[in-house]
Amino acid sequence: MSKNLLNKTLQIYSIYAIIILIVAAPIFYFAIKRLYIKEADDTLLLHKKEFVLYTLPSMQEDLIPTWNRFNRNTQIINDGILKADSIYAASYYDSLDAEIEPYRVLESSITIGNKLYTYRAKTNLVEVEDIIINIVILFLLVIILLLLGLFFLTKNLSVSIWKPFYRTLNAIENFELDKAIVPIFLETEVKEFNRLNNTLQHLIENNLSVYKSQKEFIENAAHELQTPLAVFQSKIDQFMQRNDVTQEQSTLLEGLATSVARLTRLNKNLLLLGKLDSNIYSEKTALSISSLIEKNLNFFTEQAEAKNIEIEFNTIEEGKVLANKALLEMLVNNLFLNAIQHNVEAGNIYIEVGNDYLKVSNTGKAIQLNQAKLFTRFSKINTSEKGNGLGLSIVKKIADLNGWELKYEYENQFHIFLILF
Amino acid sequence: MKLLLIEDEQELGDNIQKLLLDKKYICEWVTTVAEALDKISFYDYDCVLLDLMLQGANGLEVLKELKRQHKLEAVIIISAIETLEARLEGLRMGADDYLTKPFHLSELLARIEALLRRKNFKGNNIVSFNEIIIDVLAKTVCINHKLIDATKKEMDLLLYLIANENRVLSKAAIAEHLSGDMAEMLDNYDFVYAHVKNLKKKMNAAGAGDYIKSVYGLGYKWKNE
Repeated sequence: MSKNLLNKTLQIYSIYAIIILIVAAPIFYFAIKRLYIKEADDTLLLHKKEFVLYTLPSMQEDLIPTWNRFNRNTQIINDGILKADSIYAASYYDSLDAEIEPYRVLESSITIGNKLYTYRAKTNLVEVEDIIINIVILFLLVIILLLLGLFFLTKNLSVSIWKPFYRTLNAIENFELDKAIVPIFLETEVKEFNRLNNTLQHLIENNLSVYKSQKEFIENAAHELQTPLAVFQSKIDQFMQRNDVTQEQSTLLEGLATSVARLTRLNKNLLLLGKLDSNIYSEKTALSISSLIEKNLNFFTEQAEAKNIEIEFNTIEEGKVLANKALLEMLVNNLFLNAIQHNVEAGNIYIEVGNDYLKVSNTGKAIQLNQAKLFTRFSKINTSEKGNGLGLSIVKKIADLNGWELKYEYENQFHIFLILF
Repeated sequence: MKLLLIEDEQELGDNIQKLLLDKKYICEWVTTVAEALDKISFYDYDCVLLDLMLQGANGLEVLKELKRQHKLEAVIIISAIETLEARLEGLRMGADDYLTKPFHLSELLARIEALLRRKNFKGNNIVSFNEIIIDVLAKTVCINHKLIDATKKEMDLLLYLIANENRVLSKAAIAEHLSGDMAEMLDNYDFVYAHVKNLKKKMNAAGAGDYIKSVYGLGYKWKNE
């Protein structure tokens, strides 16, 4: 599943923020705690140094009980054991708070009046814990605030920074090569977007000019063919007038005449397909589909009779559309003719016009046709058929030009072409 | 009848001239606008056949000059330009008919005949062939002074055949003539057979001669017995 560019960025930011918080909080807590314990130990050592330097020289054995009485946290203990200086953690019952609290304790041997004593100083860590917790909370608050700020800043900034990008995206989304409307890209403040726009502009202009010259080439080629075709046609006409044409020659002539007629039709349809893109058919009027069909119903009935095809025409509603008359007529006629051409001997055609649809159903070869190929130029399902492979692509093109939907289905032996206006 | 053909495609011009000469028309043929302008300033014609895309010039110049001089020539444009605008522009400038290339020679002939009829017999547009009399305006066909019940298509077919007397008409040419604008869509000419058969039947019943001959593999021919 694809995600919005902005959401993607924000999602990555959020994951990063959560990881940082989870990892940073304990690390920070332990680091602060360590630092504080070290600080407490240093203080104990400093006090001891001061004691040894200033108090010890004047300390006497009989003053020890008095000292111990007035200094709760620095006691001189008479145990007579010589030991190395040591600092450790211990818990003592604090009668003031009535609970057991953590302490750091320093023990060191001192000599008073030639006797060995142990100097034991302790300091309470309770305040330390509180401070650490407070610091950690503060720190986390700052981080959260920072990340939240970052999040919203990115969100707002991205929207405005990416705005030109989305504008460009919209512009090219609406672009269609055969409509020849060049999207307009506005100058932006971001260098990369300008580059993107310039590249796109260049690409589109190039494609348009290639497309245009291709189209012109096809049109010109088709145009240039008209004159030699006219000569060809007139020569055949002249030849036919000879009185000494043998049976064999007339068979050959008939073949030539059929081919030149087919060539002429093909060429005209090519010219037509080329012209559909240009604006000459842009004038639209309100038209009734059923009356357009009725107008040529005689012609098609005549064509159908040659194959004993029965036509049933059903107007449920008149089918009003706003369209170009020439185009709509072409579409209706091509659909109609297609239904006759690809029908079977003694087949049926059923035409139905509704409020916003035209449905042409015909009997024919009993196979579902390949929908992907059906509307492509020159994709004749059966090459032996007489059609030139352009009729349905003209229908499709006209439907596309007008934004109508063209559907094909095969149902109950009927090939159904449905146009939704 | 005197015609001026302006066509720079050698082969096509040659064929059209031959066709018209066969029909006992007088046909002069020029290939440039300058020559055409010369001709029309010195002579009068009944009909001018005008190609539009001539080397280095637009055939419409000739049409403009004709109208400027208030000449009465009927003008048929024969052009490879098949767009609706070109057609409308030609007709707006005073051309009487517009035929797109490629066309059947018989179609050209039928159009010339129809046009000359319109020009020369004002308000009384009648075609007759032996016992057959067709009133084009009233759309009626009389055989041996009796009105026959012919459809519009059958009358068109009759006129087309008579205009091309003694010429072989291919089924394609007839089909295209009968279906007008829809001709481009046709790929099956079987319906021509039905029309010819019906027309023959009606003519027979009315006692007309058997003028419509089938030509093996090619089509039909109108021939005086």
